[in-house]
Amino acid sequence: MLSLGPIIFGLILGLVIGSQIKLNIGGAKFTLASFVVILIAGIVVAWQLGNYPFYTDLPISTAFLSALIGIFVGKLLFARSK
Amino acid sequence: MSQGSVILRIISLPISILLICLGIMTILGGHITPGGGFQGGAMIASGIILSILVYGLGNSPLELSHAYIEVLESIGALGFIVLGLVGLFAGGFFLYNVGTDLLNIVPAAVQNALHYPDVTNAGFIPYLNIFVGLKVFVGLSSIAIAFEGFKKIVEESE
Repeated sequence: MLSLGPIIFGLILGLVIGSQIKLNIGGAKFTLASFVVILIAGIVVAWQLGNYPFYTDLPISTAFLSALIGIFVGKLLFARSK
Repeated sequence: MSQGSVILRIISLPISILLICLGIMTILGGHITPGGGFQGGAMIASGIILSILVYGLGNSPLELSHAYIEVLESIGALGFIVLGLVGLFAGGFFLYNVGTDLLNIVPAAVQNALHYPDVTNAGFIPYLNIFVGLKVFVGLSSIAIAFEGFKKIVEESE
């Protein structure tokens, strides 16, 4: 059975924190392509973490992955440019 | 005021984002694993602090505004108190776990509303972890932001 708690609240916390990411500032040149690389790295990390925190529904950490997706969605929807 | 080298500036934001995700994961696993609100909040704050140290204050991609810090700090404190008062009024004890309801004294509607949706029977403990995590995250981040701001003021006055 899929545990919805970590998925829902990981997304919400990710949205809250991702809304504060601003990219077009001096010194940091990140584009949307950079975020694709970060997403792939995040999926690898979630895979290596295993089914933390000890749910047996999926072989990846659903809380980690939903937080990562939440940060990206929050950045795309709510983040302001400086 | 950028303080890091090119390598640091390229790698810091991805590491900060991954640290924040690890912090959120620690918060959400707090009821069945070592960790919880404080530890997860500190991990999220470490991501923010890394970003501020490398890119500098006013130039960081992950920088929290004053209003944002205020709102999250208030939500964290008020949420904890409100959940405690729900336990007081519905169950008779402050912070009584109405989501689990071991004593069978809480109406089913309240119990279902505050039951964390996962396979464990944790009740509202994960919600308390989330509120504590939000409070610790903005609290520790604001300390680092304040220190960096004081440093900037001292450097400008010299």
